[in-house]
Amino acid sequence: MSIRCCGLVMVGAWLAAMPLAWAADAVPSGTPVTVAAASPAAGALPAAAATSSPAGAPSGGLDSRIQDVKGDVIRLNRDLLVLEEELLFPANTQVALFVSMDVGKLFALDSVQVKLDDKVVANYLYTPLEVEALHRGGVQRLYLGNLRAGEHSLVAFFTGKGPHDRDYKRGATLKIDKGTDPKYIELRIKDSTGKLQPEFDVKVWQ
Amino acid sequence: MALCSLLRDSLRRLLCAAALASLGGVAVAADEPPHVVLDPHYGDSLFHFYQEHYFTAITGLMVSQHFNRVAQHADEAEVLRGGMLLSYGLHREAGDIFARLIDKGTRPSVRDRAWFYLAKIRYQRGLVAEAGDAIGHIGNKLPADLEEERVLLQANILLAQADYAGASKVLAGMTTSTGAGQYARYNLGVALIKSGDPVQGSALLDELGRATAPDEELRSLRDQANVALGFSALQNRQPEDARKYLERVRLNGMHSNKALLGFGWASAELKNDRQALVPWTELARRDASDAAVLEARIAVPYAYAELGAIGQALDRYNDAIVAFEVENKHLDESIVAIRSGKLLAGLIERNPGTEMGWFWSMRGLPEMPHAGHLVPVLAQHEFQEAFKNYRDLQFLSRNLQQWEDSLAVLGDMLANRRMAYAERLPQVRAKAQETDLAGLQQRRDALAGELTQVEEARDGAAFADARQRALLARLDNVRATLNALGADPEFARARERLRLAAGAMTWNLAQQYPLRLWEAKKTLAVTDSQLGEARRRDVAVAQAQRDEPARFAAFAARTAELDKRIRALQPQVAALAREQQADLQELAVAELVRQKERLAAYATQARFAVAQLYDRANSTAEAGHAARQ
Repeated sequence: MSIRCCGLVMVGAWLAAMPLAWAADAVPSGTPVTVAAASPAAGALPAAAATSSPAGAPSGGLDSRIQDVKGDVIRLNRDLLVLEEELLFPANTQVALFVSMDVGKLFALDSVQVKLDDKVVANYLYTPLEVEALHRGGVQRLYLGNLRAGEHSLVAFFTGKGPHDRDYKRGATLKIDKGTDPKYIELRIKDSTGKLQPEFDVKVWQ
Repeated sequence: MALCSLLRDSLRRLLCAAALASLGGVAVAADEPPHVVLDPHYGDSLFHFYQEHYFTAITGLMVSQHFNRVAQHADEAEVLRGGMLLSYGLHREAGDIFARLIDKGTRPSVRDRAWFYLAKIRYQRGLVAEAGDAIGHIGNKLPADLEEERVLLQANILLAQADYAGASKVLAGMTTSTGAGQYARYNLGVALIKSGDPVQGSALLDELGRATAPDEELRSLRDQANVALGFSALQNRQPEDARKYLERVRLNGMHSNKALLGFGWASAELKNDRQALVPWTELARRDASDAAVLEARIAVPYAYAELGAIGQALDRYNDAIVAFEVENKHLDESIVAIRSGKLLAGLIERNPGTEMGWFWSMRGLPEMPHAGHLVPVLAQHEFQEAFKNYRDLQFLSRNLQQWEDSLAVLGDMLANRRMAYAERLPQVRAKAQETDLAGLQQRRDALAGELTQVEEARDGAAFADARQRALLARLDNVRATLNALGADPEFARARERLRLAAGAMTWNLAQQYPLRLWEAKKTLAVTDSQLGEARRRDVAVAQAQRDEPARFAAFAARTAELDKRIRALQPQVAALAREQQADLQELAVAELVRQKERLAAYATQARFAVAQLYDRANSTAEAGHAARQ
């Protein structure tokens, strides 16, 4: 009899210690995940077994201090990047090349090569994740550099798979008139539904 | 439990992914056509964001905002920034961003997202009523992928306010096939039981416990609901019901250990110890890192004893005691390894990463003795969050170190430029002095005056080229010679030829005059332009002479200031990392200490049972002896 009682006590103790169940409350990290206990009876519930309950991080606690430092480092990174850009790529000579993809169903991008004034300035091989990011509307800054004021030539070669899984290599050329403002150039990969072929064009933002 | 936690995290990542995806969706807000990026730099932030390079995305976005390059996506950029800051736990800054967006009266789609994130922040900060207020402001412009999260958040807020009926109503509208909705229902069921409504709570859990589950995650949740119901029935002394619920649990699922243990106890409660032995024997063979398995190791001899198999019971109890002692020793070794830093070093090694991560989750146990003890430790949400912080701090430390090195390079570059400038300046000055711009201007003005006179006089001869000038000179010589010879008729033909030649020359010059005048004017214009350029350069050189030292000094000051900030942050990050490491180790040790305590309790119970069995055997022997006497 005593062993049986002991066994039942063990069940109770086990129940009390058991983090039985949980449910995610769709909040990002830093938030305690909701832990709910499936309990035999309210009275027997462990104190911690509550329903969804938010909990604020204690101010001045370790977590809070870590978040403060993260914020400081993020701001510091911004200031450092600004300094770096102003030093290395001053506005009056700056030129930035972007790559974007509109739909892109007719072309599976593998790589891009860009020549500025007949000199290769970028040779980029894409990962599937990067291609997906482009498909979703991301615009890649492929190259950031400097150009003197005046006329320059730009040639971009796109390599990949075209319709019917055929190897595809196309080029786009552009004459750039660089002034004293930064120059932003977007190389766009588009689908021409009429021709059922990919199209490559260049947009000069400024 | 460990798998449960891993699943929990996978779901949370899923939901976070949905939330983040909708952050990215700021580019494709409800009232805008998709894929319209009006500022390429905004698209660049999205490019990194979609690859989950959040640190690069947020810092790049902030740089673009600094240079005012995302003006056409100003509000979306703020929502994106706020969301990413929120993901890093920077609630205060994120809250300020969303509040600012609402105050400025942004368009409905942005405003709804801002209210949503504000509600989320407030909920996370424990401001439940305020979170409820914020969620009430959300209109109908929330992106579809955020809608589910809004419902869950609203349900959680209502649960936190003990408004179970309200939560139930909100969740009723959710499709039951979504994992998030099922988890919320589970929570609601538990909350209802807790709040004194076991009928409705159990009904909700029972519904979950019988639901079809398309994937492992939902099957696991179904098992969990059944385990919860089973133990609830067991605690209420309803062993038949308990068996019914526990029978539904899969034998190899993550909750099977608990179910087997409970099923055994339910059978024991029904005085069917032979049947209890079946699940317990199976359970006792499993991995000892689970508390249920440890308990089964003494439950089995308990059942043998109940069945009167005292010898087998004693053997099993003694085996369990030995196993507990071995396990206890292993736990001590694990604690020593954790305190020596092996746990965190091993975890970092097994879980590398390049950026500060939100979605990050542990992929493997560290290489260390008895790593199995760590499964329940690593499954703790608190531990995972703390380790994420630790990992983030390692990233920040590397980031600061890289910038320290880069800044040194930038400083060198700046110094080189300064030096080059100082070296070239005298040469440039000397050249500028050599170039007599004023003199050149005077010469140009003189030529312009001459040109005006030529034009007024229509003097074609003024534009004569060298050959023509030579011919003109010969004509003058011939004319002078003929004049000297007087009116001799012998030279009449020569005079006539002179007249014809001079006339032809005048004709040619007159013919060429307009073209030559235009060319002269054009050349003068080019000269003007070149002189203007020279003057501009002269001014620029003069300006540079004045400004460049100040520019270099400003850059140097900024570099120094940033270097100071880096150096100030480095020890802070290092100290926080140490503190976080100590916290993590203590969290892990505390869990292992709990395991040791549990082990000690089981060992004590086993020893006590052994003593009781000996007593019983002695009593029986004495009774037999007395009877024989």
